[in-house]
Amino acid sequence: MAYVRKNAAALTANEKRRFVNALLEVKRRGEYDAFVRTHIDYYTADGEEGLRAAHMAPSFLPWHRRFLLELERALRRVDSSVTVPYWDWTRDRGTTSVPWTKDLLGGNGRKSDRQVTTGPFAYAAGHWTIKEGITDGKYLTRDLGRAAAPIQLPTRSALQWALDDPAYDVSPWDSTVTRGFRNKLEGWGTGGGSASWHNHNRVHRWVGGVMLGGASVNDPVFWLHHAFLDYQWYRWQQAHKNHRYLPATQPGPGDKQRGRVVARLDKMPPWNVTPDSLEDVSGIYRYA
Amino acid sequence: MVVGTGGVAVGAERQVREGKPSRREVTRGLLASAAALGLAPVVAASRPLPPSGGAENRAFDQTYRGHRIQGFLVPAAVRRADAGEWQITVDGCPLHLMRRADGTWMSMVDHYTSYATPVEAARAAVDEIGPGQRLREMAPGPVGGERAGHGMGGMHGVRA
Repeated sequence: MAYVRKNAAALTANEKRRFVNALLEVKRRGEYDAFVRTHIDYYTADGEEGLRAAHMAPSFLPWHRRFLLELERALRRVDSSVTVPYWDWTRDRGTTSVPWTKDLLGGNGRKSDRQVTTGPFAYAAGHWTIKEGITDGKYLTRDLGRAAAPIQLPTRSALQWALDDPAYDVSPWDSTVTRGFRNKLEGWGTGGGSASWHNHNRVHRWVGGVMLGGASVNDPVFWLHHAFLDYQWYRWQQAHKNHRYLPATQPGPGDKQRGRVVARLDKMPPWNVTPDSLEDVSGIYRYA
Repeated sequence: MVVGTGGVAVGAERQVREGKPSRREVTRGLLASAAALGLAPVVAASRPLPPSGGAENRAFDQTYRGHRIQGFLVPAAVRRADAGEWQITVDGCPLHLMRRADGTWMSMVDHYTSYATPVEAARAAVDEIGPGQRLREMAPGPVGGERAGHGMGGMHGVRA
């Protein structure tokens, strides 16, 4: 029986409390920091050598789908009623709206040092010390909306622009492609400045603080953000039923992307599962 | 799960080392070899740059918003194939840069935006490093170099 991932705005007080407590327990057990590390280790940029599994690649969506499932399994070992909620940033767009409330993820960072001082993940609460960070800061940081040069979260129409593209992804399958659902959702644009940050990337930028760096998993909003993106993959599939994950097979000999992207039936590290096996997860969970 | 000194699951650390060296290890080796050859940013700055090197390839050493940022193009002779072309430090701590396919640069601090030059990426990183904070020594970076179907095999510390 598939379980349900809910909109964070629709959670009851009890569901919020159980989700938060499960996260804190996974952190206490030392499991959470391994998730942070995995995300750092698999961030290979497309101007570098090697296989890109997690970002700037077609497997951006299946990689994060599996990553979410791993976290969700860890949470459900603590409390089998818990699922990962999603944050619909096209609707909940303020710095004090869901999920930035004291009973869920806590609020914005304070002005002086961006330290999150409210909610269950505030450093002073004693349960959320950052160990796998880019800097030596021990506390969670946020800069919602980027105070120094404000930006807005992606709009509903920006998300729709991605969903309307019938191609899952296109060659050369990296951050330079201007067509395809995957990069329109992942959000690598051309040129500089805020106009070049789309959907997924723009949300990381909007939250700021640790969410902007390689160790973004340290902010639990990472999971709510990626659950919403995962939901969009499902919605895209529903809208384009004749289209699937691409590339179906490895790029041919002589193609610079050969061996650098995960094709539909290739095994995706670190789990050795194929994108093909992650296209339909209706037997595991559904979105409500 | 057994947790090592850095908060990293011991199993995960070991699995990384079984594969290609991690960026952390590459950085460590690079610093050692650069030191052995007596290279320093100031020396590198006076070395002839590659013919293609315009202003964007020039070494820099400047103070930006109270932080000292230094960077130099690592000479190919001491550069590992899978190491970065640039050695960047903020207040003496390494800042790992990654390159995008369009030639722009991004740092571990600011991972979802890329910049035209290494110095711009370093400045953007300083903008995001909070007051009183420093980059961790041997700032983490990706393992890279994996091939489809020949990944690490294990769960990399994340277990179902």
